[in-house]
Formats: sequence, C-alpha cells, structure tokens
Amino acid sequence: MSFMVPGLGIVKGMALTLRRFFEPKATIMYPEQRADVAAKFRGRLQLLYDEWGTLKCETCFQCAQACPIECIDMGGTDTRGRFHVHWGPPETYGERREESAVRRAGRPVPDPAFRPFEPLDMTELDRILEDFDHDPAHMLEILEATQEAYGYLPVAALKRISHVTGAWYAMIYGAASYYAHLRFEPPTATEQSDALGRNRPAESAYVAALDAALQGGGRQSASARA
Amino acid sequence: MVNLLKTPAAWPRILLGRADADPTDLDAAVAAGAFEGLQRAFRDLGGAGTIAAITAASLRGRGGAGYPTGDKWRTAATTDSTKRYVVANGYGADPASHTDRTLMLRDPYAVIEGTAIAATAIGAREAFIAVRGEDAEVISTLSAAVGHATDAGFLGDDVLGSGRELWVTVRPVQGAYMLGEETVLLKALEGKRGQPEQRPPHPAVKGLDDKPTVVNNVQTLAAVPWILREGPEAFRATGSARAPGTVLVQVRTPGKDGVAEVPLGTPIREVLKLGGKLPEGRTLQAVLIGGPSGGLLPPDVLDAPYDFDTLREAGAHIGSGSVVAVDDRTDLVELVSVLTRFCSNEACGKSIPCRIGTRRLAEIVARREVGLRRPVDTQLAADLAHDIVASALCDHERLATLPLTSGMRYFGSAFDPESRPTPVASESAR
Ligand SMILES: Cc1cc2nc3c(=O)[nH]c(=O)nc-3n(C[C@H](O)[C@H](O)[C@H](O)COP(=O)(O)O)c2cc1C
Ligand code: SF4
Ligand code: FES
Repeated sequence: MSFMVPGLGIVKGMALTLRRFFEPKATIMYPEQRADVAAKFRGRLQLLYDEWGTLKCETCFQCAQACPIECIDMGGTDTRGRFHVHWGPPETYGERREESAVRRAGRPVPDPAFRPFEPLDMTELDRILEDFDHDPAHMLEILEATQEAYGYLPVAALKRISHVTGAWYAMIYGAASYYAHLRFEPPTATEQSDALGRNRPAESAYVAALDAALQGGGRQSASARA
Repeated sequence: MVNLLKTPAAWPRILLGRADADPTDLDAAVAAGAFEGLQRAFRDLGGAGTIAAITAASLRGRGGAGYPTGDKWRTAATTDSTKRYVVANGYGADPASHTDRTLMLRDPYAVIEGTAIAATAIGAREAFIAVRGEDAEVISTLSAAVGHATDAGFLGDDVLGSGRELWVTVRPVQGAYMLGEETVLLKALEGKRGQPEQRPPHPAVKGLDDKPTVVNNVQTLAAVPWILREGPEAFRATGSARAPGTVLVQVRTPGKDGVAEVPLGTPIREVLKLGGKLPEGRTLQAVLIGGPSGGLLPPDVLDAPYDFDTLREAGAHIGSGSVVAVDDRTDLVELVSVLTRFCSNEACGKSIPCRIGTRRLAEIVARREVGLRRPVDTQLAADLAHDIVASALCDHERLATLPLTSGMRYFGSAFDPESRPTPVASESAR
C-alpha cells in the first residue's frame, strides 16, 4: 500500500484546494438566515450561572453518570483553583456544596452525604494497574482485582484508576455501577464481597411470574376472569 | 441439573452425541472424535478451506437470527487487521431456557474445539468463551476442559506442534438480558457498561478492541467440529434444506420442562410431543416460541416446521430456543404482560425506543390486563410497535414488540378490553 512519490501529498492537497476554490460558496447570512438543524437535535448542553456569577452546577456528577451514551463528563478547575482532569467524587462535591451553602444560607450547612474519603494505601492498586499495563481495555478486570484487594471499590481507587488509565471517571463509574457484583461500600459481616455470582432478582421474579401465568394463577384469579 | 428429554432414535445427534460421557474426560472425548476437526482444519484445510467447508454445510447461527456462519467468518478473515478475535456466546440470556448451558455442561470440548476452529479459520490467536458469572458449574466445567485441552497441546503456545499460538479463555460476565446481544457482550468483555452499538459496522468488521471479531453462539460453534469430521454433505443431510443441522430446544409443557436436540425443520407438533401429553381436560391455547421476546402462535402452527424463516414469517423467532405449550388456564394478556414487562425492564436505556418505547408498550398491555377501556390503545400499540421496530438501535427492542404484536394478530379478541372485566378500582391506575 505505502509507495512513495515525492511531492505527491502536496499535489493532492493543492488539488483539493483548487476543487474547493471553484465550488459554489455556501455562506449563510447568520443570524438573519438560519440553517436547518438535525431532526434529532435536542439543544446544546450548557452549564448556567447564577445571579452571583458562579456556576450553578454542584458537581454532583449525576448527569455524567446518568447519561446513557456517556456524552457528558465533568472536568475543569474546582473552587480552590486546582485543576482536575476528571472531576466528580466526594471531595470536590463536598467543597462545592459547602461553598454554595455558605453563599446561599450565609452559614455552612453540614452535608450528611459528604464524607471525606479515607486515605487509601495505593501500593496494591498500583500493582494491579501495572499488571494490566494501565490499559483501560481491561477495565472490568482491573475493577474486579481492585475489589478483590480492597473488599470494595473505594472512591479514591476509582479516581486513581481514572487518572492512570485515562478513562473517564463517568465511564468507570458507569461500568462499575452496571455490574451487580461490584460494590462501593465494604461488605457487611454477612455479605460476601466475592466477584461474580449473585443471582439477579429481576430474573427470578420473571421466572416466577411466567410460571404463575402459565398455570393460570396470576394476579387475576380465575373467578375474576370468568 | 437440567432434564434431557428423550428424542426419537432416528433423529441425528450432532450436539449431544457425547452427552452421556464424563464431560471433562479428555481421553474419552478424543476417543469419540474430539479435536479431529481441529486437526483437519490445521493440517489439511487451512483457513480458507475451513471457511469453505462451513459455507458448504450451510451452517446458520444458532444465536437466534440464523445468519450464515461461513459468511460471517469470511468477513472477519478478509477484513484487514493486525489482530482478530473469536467470542463464543454462551451467555444464555433467557433465564427460563437452559439450552446453551446444557451443551457447555454436557460437552465442553465440542464448544472449545469449535471455538478453536473458528479462530484457526479467521487467523485469530485469542478466543473467549463468555458465560454467566453466576453459573459456577459452567465456569468450572469449561475451565477444567480448557485446562486439559491446553495441557494436551490442542490449545496454547504450540497448537498441535505447529508452533502457532491459540489461547481460549473462559470469561464470566454478568449483566442484564441484553448482555446476550453481541455488541453488548463485546462491551462487557471490554469492561464497559452493557449497552449496544449501532450496527453496521458488524463485529465481524469492528468488534472487540475495534478488531474483526467473530461472535457465534456456542451451539453454532459446537456443530463445527462435527461438520469437519463428517463432512458438509453429511451435515446438509440433517435438518431442513434451508436450515441444516440440529438445535437445542427448551421444551416446556404443563407436565415437563427439559432440553432436547431437535433437527431444524421438525414440525412444531413433534417438538411439543417431547414434553408429553397435556393433562386430562386441558386444551392447547397457544405456543410461545422464542423466550421473553418470543411470539405467541395459535395451535394451527403445529404443523409448521421449526426453523428460522418459518418462525420469522409467523411472527416469532427461534430466539432462546424455548418452545412453551400454553394451555387454556392461561390468561394470554397476563402472559404477554409478563413478557413485555420483562423485556422493558431489561432494556438498556440507551436509545429512545429502548428506554421509553418498550416502557409505554408494557403500560398499554398492563391497561389491557386490568381491562381499562381506552379505545385508542389498539391503534396506539400497533403504531408504537411499528415505530419501535423502525427506529430501534438494537434487536432487543425490535423483538420486544413480538409478544404483543403476535398476540394481537392471532388472539385479537382476547386483547379487546370489552371482553375483560371492568377493573374494581377506578381508572386511577392510568
Ligand atoms: C436481546 C438479545 C439477546 C441475545 N441473547 C443471546 C444469547 O443469550 N446467546 C446468544 O448466543 N445470542 C444471543 N443473541 C444474539 C447475538 O446478538 C448474536 O447474534 C449471536 O450470538 C451470534 O451468533 P450466531 O451467528 O451463532 O447466531 C441475542 C440478541 C439479542 C438482540
Ligand atoms: S453535575 Fe449535577 S449539578 Fe452539575 S450539571 Fe450535572 S447534574 Fe447538574
Ligand atoms: S435494549 Fe437498549 S438500545 Fe436495545
């Protein structure tokens, strides 16, 4: 495929320029004249500012996690001027919440949802990441190994994984919350923290409802139907 | 343990021929012909020859849609790439059907050998068998078998002394019903959320890690060694002309529930007969074919052949391989409601027809179920189902309309709110 003719690239580029040069112009006199937008256009995503001129976004991360096609990710500079490649979890959340509480209520409002996260010994996690070559393609295995090592998926670990693999925090959180065998809290004494293996209640409920319907004993009794 | 149903002695046994042996005993399996196909593929046929043999056998995918396997392999083999993969789909999405897991438990070597042959044919060095994470029995059986086959040199870094590499790995995955769909399964193997991708490009062109990937159902792959051993002609002599070979069917009647190996094209009556007679005083009201997103067909279909195309035309599909006799005790609207609700709950939420369309459909059926009279509902359901099919991102939401559309097509009067009792509570259920 790759034979080389010196100067061919330039000739190709100039040919394209020439072609475009003689094409009819498509200048639209915006804003007097507006182009049609795609039928499925749902408006642009934009974060709004409040009357103090600060972002209304609380960095709660809900939108990034809920977005089914993962088109939203939060990133940028936090309220203390520190740059975060991928934003999200409790500590920034706590900062913004506290800050906006001071702004709105004039006093700090303790936020029960905010727990500063425990410092985490990352040696084990770094070994795991090393094992998987920091490769986001092995995300599920990385998460499973992390859970095996720590018993659950600590926020600090997820953040580290995001930073090191370059995968969006939203993507990692999205995947981790999708799979029922992964967990975000330490297991209680009676629970097992083990990898896969939990039966899905939705499935047992379906099988039971199917059995009931086939045996004519569903929610409607036979007499009600007669 | 899954119940195997007795089939007539004249029926061919392609998938469960070794079902009575100790499943992980490699020596016994080899004595019965295991890995002969792989040796043929490696030594005599080569990649192109193997694909030609599979094409000549007219093998079609058992994962539901019946896509020609030879074509899929050729696409993956001829797409330019540095790497290729094979994924055996053993997820078995339908919780009420145990066909795939029966195969993996009874003859793991057939699945492994078929996977290895597919990898050889398309030039892949890595293959995965994806199974349910909660099915410890399948995971341990398959893993043990892969271990024995690797130790014996059928897999590993020097396959059959050729110096070529071929690794087969058992990969437990867990998610919703949707995980059985091929693009979703690949997402799970990549460690992402289980949601489908727009096709095309099909996985055979751009799959795992964006590399050409053959995704085949485990039954499809398990038929491959047999074809290479006995020849494409012998395979074409089984099943029907349009769909040769056999499939595993989960037959369920009021008296029995079990798995049987059935030649494609067998009249549905014969399939149901494997489950025994209906109890005294009961009559057959309908046959549910294809699992949660299957079609509800009237008893006149009994003489129709059980194969991909006939079922599609009738408004059902082979799907998870389940065939259920619905007797006259069942309220069909309730049954359709259970199925539609499950399909809606299991939908991934990525696209509008998936997230909202299936939900609205389930709501319409639920209104029917309690007898709420909304004159426009019938038209609404038909329109909505049509729109879902037309705008769906993946096949799940398309197929999720089948229980309702087939029910309305064949049992319209049962779905007429006039024929149902007025709900006791007011219309607040709206
Ligand atoms: C909602 C949904 C669920 C599916 N579940 C399964 C499954 O459990 N097992 C399977 O082999 N194929 C399943 N499929 C079909 C796969 O997408 C894919 O077509 C199949 O694995 C390809 O293999 P084949 O060519 O051998 O049929 C499912 C498809 C859909 C739309
Ligand atoms: S992070 Fe939370 S507050 Fe900020 S835009 Fe998203 S949903 Fe809104
Ligand atoms: S199930 Fe969500 S897009 Fe198909």
